[in-house]
Amino acid sequence: MSGLNTPRLRAPARPRRNRDDKSFRTPARSRRNRDNKAAALFLLPWFAGLVLITLGPIAASLALGFTDYNLIQPAKFSGLHNFSRMLSDERLHQALGVTFTYVLVSVPLQLGCALGLALLLDRGLRGLAFYRSAFYLPSLLGSSVAIAVLWRQIFGAEGMVNQVLDLVGVQGRGWISDPSTALSTLIVLNVWTFGAPMVIFLAGLRQIPVMYYEAASVDGATRWMQFRKITLPLLSPIVFFNLVLQIIHAFQSFTQAFVVSGGSGGPSDSTLFFTLYLYQRGFNNFDMGYASALAWLLLIIIAGFSGINFWAAKYWVFYHD
Amino acid sequence: MPYRPTRRELLALALALPTVAALDACGTGGDSGSELSKDPVTLRFTWWGSDARHQRTQKVIEAFQKAHSTITVKGEFKEWNGYWDSLATTVAANDAPDIIQMDELYLASYAQRGALLDLGTTGKYLKTADFDANALATGAIDGKQYALPVGLGTYSMVVNTDLLTQLNIPMPDDATWTWEDLKTIGKQISQTGGGKITGVQSWGFDAGGVNIWARQAGASLYDDKGNVAIPPQVLADYWRYLLDLAKSGAAPQPSVTIERAGAGLDQSGTATNTSVFGTWWNTQITSLTKASGKSLKLLRLPGEAKSAAPAAYYKPSMFWSISSRSKHAAEAALFVDFLANSQEAADILLTDRGVPANTTIRTSIKSKLTGTDKAAADFLDAVKVSKPPRVTPNGASTIEAILKRHTEEVLFERATPQQAADKFIAELQAEIKAAS
Repeated sequence: MSGLNTPRLRAPARPRRNRDDKSFRTPARSRRNRDNKAAALFLLPWFAGLVLITLGPIAASLALGFTDYNLIQPAKFSGLHNFSRMLSDERLHQALGVTFTYVLVSVPLQLGCALGLALLLDRGLRGLAFYRSAFYLPSLLGSSVAIAVLWRQIFGAEGMVNQVLDLVGVQGRGWISDPSTALSTLIVLNVWTFGAPMVIFLAGLRQIPVMYYEAASVDGATRWMQFRKITLPLLSPIVFFNLVLQIIHAFQSFTQAFVVSGGSGGPSDSTLFFTLYLYQRGFNNFDMGYASALAWLLLIIIAGFSGINFWAAKYWVFYHD
Repeated sequence: MPYRPTRRELLALALALPTVAALDACGTGGDSGSELSKDPVTLRFTWWGSDARHQRTQKVIEAFQKAHSTITVKGEFKEWNGYWDSLATTVAANDAPDIIQMDELYLASYAQRGALLDLGTTGKYLKTADFDANALATGAIDGKQYALPVGLGTYSMVVNTDLLTQLNIPMPDDATWTWEDLKTIGKQISQTGGGKITGVQSWGFDAGGVNIWARQAGASLYDDKGNVAIPPQVLADYWRYLLDLAKSGAAPQPSVTIERAGAGLDQSGTATNTSVFGTWWNTQITSLTKASGKSLKLLRLPGEAKSAAPAAYYKPSMFWSISSRSKHAAEAALFVDFLANSQEAADILLTDRGVPANTTIRTSIKSKLTGTDKAAADFLDAVKVSKPPRVTPNGASTIEAILKRHTEEVLFERATPQQAADKFIAELQAEIKAAS
């Protein structure tokens, strides 16, 4: 990933420090060494955590992916069997279908809502801080168990949605317990958590110099043209940033489907997220070797999607600095 | 010069650590023949069940702690649905509770993988003399006593007699009735029930129902070797019947059925007085009555009169087992002994976990039973049974999840009963094969 033309994924609006800047240099070599040692010392707890809690299990799961391991007895090496099994595993294919649908439908909708509201809030609204917090709140709660439980109530056969529909004379249905609508309720839940990308969009909008808009309006550009020609291009690094993050996030969704379907991915596998299927294989079927292999498949899929994103970004992301 | 590890060495060490930890975990089994400790000991005890059971069990724990002042028992109780996920994760994390309430579905899966203690090694504290050999055999695998049966139960049809009287519909005769009769009366109830009440609460989510259906057709779910043996035709008929119940209005709409099946006993159609008939294990009548507040009665299953041999059987309602990695096996055995053999515990538990399998206890509590506890015990005596099916084979413990999924497919008409039957059999057999 080198070369000037490669788009970079980075948090928006963060000032870059020039490393050749004189003020950044330390006066003496010995002092730098001392600083480095102190830094290493302070980093040690984090590093220990990284190795023991993150890298260790990651390495272990890669190793387990090539074994037959039932959680209780020692793992037995089984070569590529876990990976060849994936080809004929119908439930895995169902899980992939569900997950792709979820990601490809909910992420664009979520980002659309986030951008739309960010544009509205950016127009110097009174009480902006309040609205910003209010819209941000769901993204803190969205993947929690409590909200998932609430969702099950709201969309239940006798839930709030049906009570409201009943008032206007529409016959509702069990949204969560009907395989044709269950996934949609989870998509709605994910869209509802648009707060996090919205806050980032807001910050990005603030970075766009007002003079561009002034110049454009002097030239008689309509609001829509200003949005198309100024806002979108200048905001594109932020859109890209949100897109990559939310796609990764959506692929890893687990709690919502687990709670809403009671861990089954039902009704009839209509909410069987990839992570949920992985969990079922590992902990319900005592099939941890295969579950580990599935985890690596997910990693490859997410890496693939991110790779495509980075490649495609060359054609639509514009860095004006 | 002081030793400085290289980066490579550190990395190797980091990779090796989890492996060592894992090996260590395999090595330290519970010290099963151990003596009672003189220091205070805390045991963890896990069970599933309804509110009524939690209250009774808590009382038994208090009684035990009074008798053994150095032992504290911490209860961890859950609904059936979450229980097994939680048990699997704790066992895998080497953090299993000491005393585990075990079910027939999971017994082989846990025992054959070495997660359970052979109770034969704790004979000093845990007596099994009052259990008859047939009952004990249900908890033994390959000659080792991995689990002690708690009680016996039998599959039954629970009817809400208050609702029947209210709707002015006569009680069917359970000595002769058929599945057709159930459907007819179910439809009649739904029509007079005014939308809120349906005749039958749909099943299709538990292994008991499939076992009974197979046995009434002269087949069995598994053969003696532990392979799936139910003919696809029989299974297809089972789903055809369930679909018929839903379509004819005798059972609620599929989405309502599925929502209730996902919730616990306390939210079932029987417990909330929204279904008149429902299939349950006979001893669940106590919890159900407590939840519904109405008068419930146990009926023999439809179709039994026409079946060549009785399909009903005595199922060990559940078992007591001890984790093979328990650090306090002696104390755990002492507690299980209290649960299984003490008169004090029996007087509190009565029939909530099944009519006691301990024959001495069973006789001694008979006279004390009242109400639904007595009804459950009397029903068990009255019902005609034949030899129980084999224990669920290793790997097949997820049968209810597979069953549920295919029932959903059928009820929402995404698969025909025949397609569901073929797929169900193939899938279950594959799980058994993978585990062996």
